[in-house]
Amino acid sequence: MSEGTERHPRYSAIVLLEDQDSDLIPLVDTLHRVFSSRPAGYEIIIVANGVGGFLRRALASVAMCNGALKAYEFPSKVSQSVCLKAGFEESSGEIIIVCGSHRQITESSLMRLLDSLDEQTDIVNSWRTKRNDSTFNQLQSRAFNALVRKIARCQVHDLSSAVKVYRRSVLEQTDFYGNMHRFLPIIAEGKGFRTKEVECEHYRWTGKTGPCPPYEYIERVADLLTLYFLIGFKNKPLRFFNVLGTFFLLLGFGCLSYVFLDKMLLGHPVGGHPLLLLSLFSMVLGVQVSSVGLLGEIIAFTHGRHKRQYTIEKIL
Amino acid sequence: MGVHLSIVIPLYNEEDSVRELVSSIVECAKDFPFSHEILLVDDGSTDGTWRVIEELSTSVPTLRAIKFRRNYGQTSAMVAGFDHARGEIIVTMDGDLQNDPRDIPRLLEKLEEGYDIVSGWRVHRRDHFSRVLPSRIANAIISLTTGVHLHDYGCSLKAYRAECIRSIKAYGEMHRFFPALASMTGARVAEIPVRHHERKHGTSKYGFSRIFKVLSDIWAINLIIKFSSNPLRGFLFCAVPFVLLSLFFWLLCALALFYSWTQGKAQVFMFSALLSGAAAVHLVVLGFLAELVVHVSDLSHTHLSKLTKRCINGETR
Repeated sequence: MSEGTERHPRYSAIVLLEDQDSDLIPLVDTLHRVFSSRPAGYEIIIVANGVGGFLRRALASVAMCNGALKAYEFPSKVSQSVCLKAGFEESSGEIIIVCGSHRQITESSLMRLLDSLDEQTDIVNSWRTKRNDSTFNQLQSRAFNALVRKIARCQVHDLSSAVKVYRRSVLEQTDFYGNMHRFLPIIAEGKGFRTKEVECEHYRWTGKTGPCPPYEYIERVADLLTLYFLIGFKNKPLRFFNVLGTFFLLLGFGCLSYVFLDKMLLGHPVGGHPLLLLSLFSMVLGVQVSSVGLLGEIIAFTHGRHKRQYTIEKIL
Repeated sequence: MGVHLSIVIPLYNEEDSVRELVSSIVECAKDFPFSHEILLVDDGSTDGTWRVIEELSTSVPTLRAIKFRRNYGQTSAMVAGFDHARGEIIVTMDGDLQNDPRDIPRLLEKLEEGYDIVSGWRVHRRDHFSRVLPSRIANAIISLTTGVHLHDYGCSLKAYRAECIRSIKAYGEMHRFFPALASMTGARVAEIPVRHHERKHGTSKYGFSRIFKVLSDIWAINLIIKFSSNPLRGFLFCAVPFVLLSLFFWLLCALALFYSWTQGKAQVFMFSALLSGAAAVHLVVLGFLAELVVHVSDLSHTHLSKLTKRCINGETR
């Protein structure tokens, strides 16, 4: 057993490097310090996502730390999910720590985060209770997290914090793509993994402050909608589309009856009635939305069957 | 010992060229320090191409050939070639003798420098103006829109790492987009100038009408590159103008009612608002459908990442 732990480090830290972040080396040092204080073995994996030669240069200046450091790069930008998966493929640790390229939480918080992964927990999220950035950023982040809580019906307070601890099985059994890595803890929770949040101290904010360009908000909305759809309806898409379709159909039908009653009881002509148009549009839309749903159901039936819809915790 | 290099050549009604083509390749291959194979793909030729290939196969031991039941197009022929090639490196070229096999060693050298795809660039094209112009336009558009900057996408003479090209699922007439598609997965693409000869036999299989097909392919490929992993975003971006338009018309409609403009105006505004609102709803709904399709698909990004991930420190598993 002890030999096994020698060969396979217990901890794998995956550092996702998205831009030329000068905080990378201090972060790696911090990780080294945190892990060296523990008896179990560890490794640090840096995955650079299209940052040119930055990572090579940065690593050249650091003394190589007894083989515990691995570094990989993508020559051109790929999605962050791909980066995370790439890092995960290279890792062998039983516990995986995923973080961004700068020090988001303090060293002691990181310790606490690692300690709180007990037998009953599969995922530990960090929750930066005292944040060190602008009020606007905080408000924005709170609103986003509140929306996520509402949509996913889960208790998460700080999804935007990049520091998370996973058990290996979580990353093995949860599939994510595109921008869904952001919601990985929630998707995993939907699969039955147990999540825990630990309050952390925010180290400092190094990113940009102030409002993002408008398209980023649209992207967030898209991500949230995707999350909502995938959590609730990926196995039964027709329900989702039918709710929407029925709404439009009923709206149309209601308006049409109103127009009809107006004609019958009050004698207003049907021809120029403004609601006539609304009802017709609405009914057509309802039928179309429902038929798209039917198409979705066919796709889910014909292609989605090979996707496992359950996760097994233990087999005796 | 495994084969190092596979030369894939799609052929369609090239009975006059095949013999010369194969002999010129064999001539070049004498200098190769590694093993190679020539893989001819007869794309349902209606002339004697296959007969010539059968004759040749008796005298050329490195020759292999595939025959399609009917004509499927150059991309399908290439994909069939990729599927059946045994080499670690695959070179594709035209069957009409316009590419020169003497360029192959240079392509391979470039590949050795650490690229995944090396594309030929026909600097001095020996083609009729009516062929060159549409191709130029297409090249300019592909370069502008895909983010992969080459001078000549249409050149068939290209060298690929086999693992890299097999991961790309091509369809339609997509062969000119292989570099763009591959770079989407992080592959490194380079270009070197190659020779180009005048057509000796047969007729060109391309016409001016192809520009429209190519344009629609460009459009499709850009959408795929941008939105294949998160389609709902794309649809949402398309829906936003319609939402704004709808709101604008609802506002006008309200104003029309409030200030008692003519009833016709109010009705026109309402009609426009409803129409654009319906379009927006429709786009969003389609976005969900697209998301579902991506979700259930086997599009494995992990698989792609293995090819393009480069190790800086430590070993790759």
